[in-house]
Amino acid sequence: MMRILALVTDAFGAGGGIARYNQDLLSALAQSGRVSDITVLPRFAAGTPSTPAKVRQLRPSPDRSSWIARSISLAVRQRFDVIFCGHLNALPLAALIARLRRSFLWAQVHGIEAWQPRGAAWREGLATAALVTSVSRHTRQKLLAWADVAPHRVRVLPNTIDPIYQPRPADPKLKASLGLAGKRVILTVGRLSASERYKGHDRIIEALPEVLGQVPDAMYVIVGSGDDQPRLAELARETGVADRVIFAGQVPGRELPDYFAIADVFAMPSTGEGFGIVFLEAAASGLPVIGGNRDGSLDALADGAIGRAVDPDSREELVAALTQALTGRAPRQTDAVRRFAFSSFAEHVDQLVRILGR
Amino acid sequence: MCGINGIFAYHYAANPIDRGELLRTRDHMAARGPDGSGAWVSDDGRVGFGHRRLSIIDLSDAAAQPMSSADGSLVVTFNGEIYNYRELRRTLEAKGHVFRSQSDTEVLLHLYADKGEAMVHDLRGMFAFAIWDGPRRTLFLARDPYGIKPLYYADDGWTFRFASQVKALLAGGAISRDPEPAGQVGFYLWGSVPEPFTTYREIRALPAGATLTVDRIGASEPRRYHSIAQVYCEAEMRAGSAGPRDEAAVQAEIRAALLDSVRHHLVADVPVGAFLSAGIDSSALVGLMRDAGQQEIQTVTLAFEEFRGRPDDEAPLAAEVARLYGTRHTTRIVTEAEFRADLPRILDAMDQPSIDGINTWFVSKAAHELGLKVAISGLGGDELFGGYPSFRDIPRWVRLFAGPSHVPGLGRSVRLISRRLTALLGLSPKAAGFLELGGSYAGAYLLRRGLFMPWELRGLLDPDVVEHGLRRLAPLAQVADELTPRPSSAHAKVAVLESALYMRNQLLRDTDWASMAHSLEVRVPLVDRVLLRVVAELASRSRRAASPISKLTLACSPSIGLPAHISARAKTGFTTPIADWIGRNRLRQAGTFPTAVAATAHWSRRWAAQLAVA
Repeated sequence: MMRILALVTDAFGAGGGIARYNQDLLSALAQSGRVSDITVLPRFAAGTPSTPAKVRQLRPSPDRSSWIARSISLAVRQRFDVIFCGHLNALPLAALIARLRRSFLWAQVHGIEAWQPRGAAWREGLATAALVTSVSRHTRQKLLAWADVAPHRVRVLPNTIDPIYQPRPADPKLKASLGLAGKRVILTVGRLSASERYKGHDRIIEALPEVLGQVPDAMYVIVGSGDDQPRLAELARETGVADRVIFAGQVPGRELPDYFAIADVFAMPSTGEGFGIVFLEAAASGLPVIGGNRDGSLDALADGAIGRAVDPDSREELVAALTQALTGRAPRQTDAVRRFAFSSFAEHVDQLVRILGR
Repeated sequence: MCGINGIFAYHYAANPIDRGELLRTRDHMAARGPDGSGAWVSDDGRVGFGHRRLSIIDLSDAAAQPMSSADGSLVVTFNGEIYNYRELRRTLEAKGHVFRSQSDTEVLLHLYADKGEAMVHDLRGMFAFAIWDGPRRTLFLARDPYGIKPLYYADDGWTFRFASQVKALLAGGAISRDPEPAGQVGFYLWGSVPEPFTTYREIRALPAGATLTVDRIGASEPRRYHSIAQVYCEAEMRAGSAGPRDEAAVQAEIRAALLDSVRHHLVADVPVGAFLSAGIDSSALVGLMRDAGQQEIQTVTLAFEEFRGRPDDEAPLAAEVARLYGTRHTTRIVTEAEFRADLPRILDAMDQPSIDGINTWFVSKAAHELGLKVAISGLGGDELFGGYPSFRDIPRWVRLFAGPSHVPGLGRSVRLISRRLTALLGLSPKAAGFLELGGSYAGAYLLRRGLFMPWELRGLLDPDVVEHGLRRLAPLAQVADELTPRPSSAHAKVAVLESALYMRNQLLRDTDWASMAHSLEVRVPLVDRVLLRVVAELASRSRRAASPISKLTLACSPSIGLPAHISARAKTGFTTPIADWIGRNRLRQAGTFPTAVAATAHWSRRWAAQLAVA
């Protein structure tokens, strides 16, 4: 029976992709018969969130140095079999603790944080890891390009799909309020970050004139907010499609299924996805899905079984994919999404605990 | 002897396997197995095997592969030969196993059913195989102790793929071609890519003498079940308790062991020929084939117009050996024009870059032209009987430099200073490194076998690649690793290094691609785990400490011994005009040559530079 210390940025009582992933992983670990208890030390959390049995989440320490100090003092006072490191930034610390306490080190990698080479402290820390889990094959490949960890220690553990995403009828009121009545809708859900700019909103805007040539009633709805919005709005004006692009702003998670329901295709020709959980959510909601073929998106698209993977830099491919989807010629593969159910994930986590230190 | 491959979509998120990809990889290996092909895909579509067949034992369809057990729970795809399969079969039949064919392949299925993964300890031969264990949903891979047969794999985190050849895996179309710096650096250091690395990051070799399993979580770490160093250490322990023996007894025991190995290596349902040079190894083997009772022996020797009438022309001496043992002998003349014409095919067949293998290409081509499917080769004699100059040089260097090399920084400083001096004096770039590397077996071995020295790499490759590659490859640690556990005698240490590094990564790999390209199976009776045990033990028992056993022991082993002028012939090394041909034949325009490889460099260094840009 394993005792686990989880050093994470955030988990229970927080939103965002990594927090969600950590919640799933910690819940799965709690279900495993091989785990006795889990202590979670987050940097951030709101309120006093409820946690699954066997999981004890300590109060957060937004201040970095106090979080480090608490991590060390925890590990000194108690013996843990496994140190789980939820973010690469904390890896040197987690590796140090694991080495001092002779615990197994389990490191988690998500996306771009693991794509670029890091310094010797990371390389040496990862070389001591008993297990590294990566959300996608792509992130695993990028990590193995610079880290000297043995390939058989790096396993892929994908995101899971929340069962709230199911096909549901479109809400005519929502559709009307966005001015989409009688229109065919392309949807993207994602941050509009001026520093990242990899999601591909601009690629879709630039493809719109050609799409409109074949599908005159097409509209593009962008859900999400961020400091890149002015640039995108300007781009839409320059491209002459300003009246076709709707910035819907940030949408609370529980309302997202309604947005999927009013769309005809979900598209995000991104180049920077660690995995791209939103593709699964869209597909589970019954939408045809279009993503990029150069990053973790390929995993969420299951190499084409769930959605179409296009070269993000090929406008021709993107236009063709969008047009086909809008005119109902793209297959919808809601079945394939089920492979990402939590039950498969939890079973895999249990097996990973079994092979720890193998 | 064949080409094998397979795909296992082990992860719950992975798509079922792509049958088209399975066949593309399989059929890229058509030359490895021209006699037939097969494919098997599990009912759920999660796992599939491919096989290209060169039929040698049990030529019937009953021996076709992939082969399933009677109840369908086990499936095997196998490349190689199990020389003791008849003994194993008798034992298994006594335990109640019922066989449906006369093949060695089927023995693998029953042996796995009987012993599981521990089966590998019972196998004598050259092999690479995969067994799908349906009830356990586990894939099991194994490779022979010396690494005679190749096996490569790639695990992308969802799907596991394996094949006999790197290029066949790539032909499937699903594997990344991102380069592996350790493979690139390793090629320049050694002249061949040291396993487990390949020049591609995602593709690795299953190490010689190792097994690997893949379950729903993915591939395990390869597990070594055989180590040449271990064999020598155990031999020394046994020898320590037994007294020394006289030379005649040693000779008799070696002869018996050699004859036993040759006999096992003649098991086939097609004729077995032999490569014959004027060297001791191949000549003695032909004599032993005679002793083993083979009446008809087809022998082949390469000859070159350029050498006619010169001392390095092996053809007359080889013909003399052929007459001595009454073989049907063919001398095949190779010309520069043929070399030039074949070069594109050679480069295509060369699975991983290598500075050698051309000789084997032509002698295999000749054997194939004669209708042979199987040929015996003397490969391994120098490793086993101490035929290389390294057996003399390396221990000498280590004695000489062990003291100075312990002074921190001294070797490096001397190297940096003397580098310019050696260049001025026209000495080998290696000369500068003796003080730094010569004091340890690993370092001395790198000096002896290295193509380029680590400090020369920056002129050949991008500095990032050099730094990253050297860190990952850790060449000295890798050499030292093969020497663990460490035998005490100098002879054993060099024998281990030569067998586990040069022979494995260079000679055996080159022999595989160059012979399989001509659908020829090469058998190497001097590369045999049973023979190794005997020779290692006798080597440690013998009283003559300096040279416990020698090539002469081998020369005296056939009942009709080799003539004195052949057994006394000095090792001539790589004596073919191929070096000159390569020198004249620029593969690529001169502009792409790395500047560090001057036109005056040794031919192998220039060849390496050409291959790397090819």
